[in-house]
Amino acid sequence: MSIMEYNGGSVVAMVGKDCVAIASDLRLGNQALGISSNFQKIFPVTDRIFLGLPGLATDVTTLRETFRFRVNMYTIKEEREIEPETFAHLVSSTLYEPTGGFRPFIAATDLIGCLNFAKDFVVAGTASTKLYGTAEGLWEPDLDPEQLFETISQTMLNAVDRDAYSGWGVVVHVIEKDKVTTRTLKGRMD
Amino acid sequence: METSFAITGKGYVLVASDTTAARSIVKMKTDEDKIKVISPHLLMAYSGEPGDTIQFAEYVERNLRLFHIRNNYALRPSAAASWIRRSLAQSLRSRKPYSVNLMLGGFDVTTDTPHLYWVDYLGTMTEVPFGAHGYGAYFGLSLLDRYHNPEATLEEGIETLKRCINEVSKRLVVSPEKYKVKVVDKDGTREIEL
Amino acid sequence: MATVSVYSSPGFDFSNLTRNHFLAEKGLPLPKATSTGTTIVGCVFEDGIILGADTRATEGPIVADKNCEKIHYITESIRCCGAGTAADTEFVTNLISSNMEMHALTHGRKPRVVTAMTMLKQYLFQYQGHVGAALVLGGVDSTGPNLFTIAPHGSTDKLPYVTMGSGSLAAMAVFESNWRANMSRADALQLVKDAISAGIFNDLGSGSNVDACIITANNTEMLRNVEMPNERVQKERTYLFPKGTTAWKKEDIRKLVLTEEVTPLAVEAMDTT
Repeated sequence: MSIMEYNGGSVVAMVGKDCVAIASDLRLGNQALGISSNFQKIFPVTDRIFLGLPGLATDVTTLRETFRFRVNMYTIKEEREIEPETFAHLVSSTLYEPTGGFRPFIAATDLIGCLNFAKDFVVAGTASTKLYGTAEGLWEPDLDPEQLFETISQTMLNAVDRDAYSGWGVVVHVIEKDKVTTRTLKGRMD
Repeated sequence: METSFAITGKGYVLVASDTTAARSIVKMKTDEDKIKVISPHLLMAYSGEPGDTIQFAEYVERNLRLFHIRNNYALRPSAAASWIRRSLAQSLRSRKPYSVNLMLGGFDVTTDTPHLYWVDYLGTMTEVPFGAHGYGAYFGLSLLDRYHNPEATLEEGIETLKRCINEVSKRLVVSPEKYKVKVVDKDGTREIEL
Repeated sequence: MATVSVYSSPGFDFSNLTRNHFLAEKGLPLPKATSTGTTIVGCVFEDGIILGADTRATEGPIVADKNCEKIHYITESIRCCGAGTAADTEFVTNLISSNMEMHALTHGRKPRVVTAMTMLKQYLFQYQGHVGAALVLGGVDSTGPNLFTIAPHGSTDKLPYVTMGSGSLAAMAVFESNWRANMSRADALQLVKDAISAGIFNDLGSGSNVDACIITANNTEMLRNVEMPNERVQKERTYLFPKGTTAWKKEDIRKLVLTEEVTPLAVEAMDTT
């Protein structure tokens, strides 16, 4: 049991046609004991950038606070919103800096930014091995927002059902040019 | 072994903690109050390494009091919880981290809502409708999954809490004998005799 | 991390080290950092250098990325292939690339490959192997073509043909049997493709496609996916779910474009009397 499995949790992000989706489970555990079924691991950074942080929950919260602070400072200094690619580099360098504090992360994604980082999908967390399988099988190029929602939801729901440390509900964000749709899914409670 | 429970209800949070102070296998004391009133509408039940617990609880108490004196208003539960969590997370990066687990129950007078936060020594924090620490959690949480009602009156809440305490007394080998129970609502905090 | 600031001080921050040590004592060991199995090569030919790399990134037994880029930019005429800890190769080459640009601006001339090599080996030696980057560095400068390997502890080799990574043995076997001095550009590129292919097919840590980079005195050509011997075939059928398959409990739509409806009030005619 390493610190990555201590609290459990998983995140997946996928690219569609003029849209991206990011989903996570909602469980927070103390090893096998479930504590919360409403622990958010995906955080809005700007209107169009969402950051998913599975891993040790204390670091998830601390990092989220760090990024909020750094993005706010950036916005004030530059007098503009941070771009997804810039933010991805901010995430990357923040995670690299503390030696031995690595944590897998999903590159911050938006309409255009994500296309540059991964053509298809990225996964992280305790269910990552299962997510690779389900995502590889279900994802295909150029899905429209509604199709992408179905694909990412089924990818997540079925992967976390095979992971003891993820689950207890799923939240999905679909990001489009003009709107962000957030849906909470019902998951197995075992 | 140390056990604490907390549940939210309609306009209140009930916080219960056992009252034993143990050292190794010996019970040193059975009337220890391990729930601190850290601001007018905020309760904190603490458990963990003896010494660390008191030191940390008093550190929190003094800082929140200082904030209150300086600004003439107390931190809201969510803000206080965030500050306390950050203190633990920073302590975790020091040479000798505090080993303290907390249940924070508060009443937000600006929105008239009760809030309960589950915090552990790593700085993990989450808002929960009910929570528990210690071995009692293994019995209490499953029971609360079945019986907890966020709309329950104080009387009903106390009944649910008693169920938890009775279950722990019945099934846990190293169960504590006595509990102290406090409640926080719109009128502030007070102790309740079970 | 302990003190957050936008102006973070240079160098590594070790505050997490004590934290991780404490957690390890509590029985929570650290996860192993992602280390990529790789085949990277470089060889000298008549007018320059050719670098080659596979495109598989692994997390233990899992293929994390099927088409990543392992040939990193240092300067226009110097490139560097990276093997080992993924984050380390990325950051170390980025850092040196930045320093080389500064060096070029300070001295007003094109920097040499040995300069990059010295910067890399001194940096890696300083961290005593904890920065796990194994590199193949190649480029053409005023002294001609130069090719080096740099090991994670900071030792270097200067050779006419080199290989590194888990597929280095397979690739070296190809070089040893077919490399000749003063090869033509086409022959050398074919040799590099063959060497990487040997890694792709014989080493489990390497796979997917071949990337190559041809550096000559006045031109650098990055051949991304020059060979794609493992292309995915079209799925035999689609596995799309009909819309409405997934039930949801709560929906929240956040509109990013604010629309506003303007209802014109009955306008009174202007008094023109």
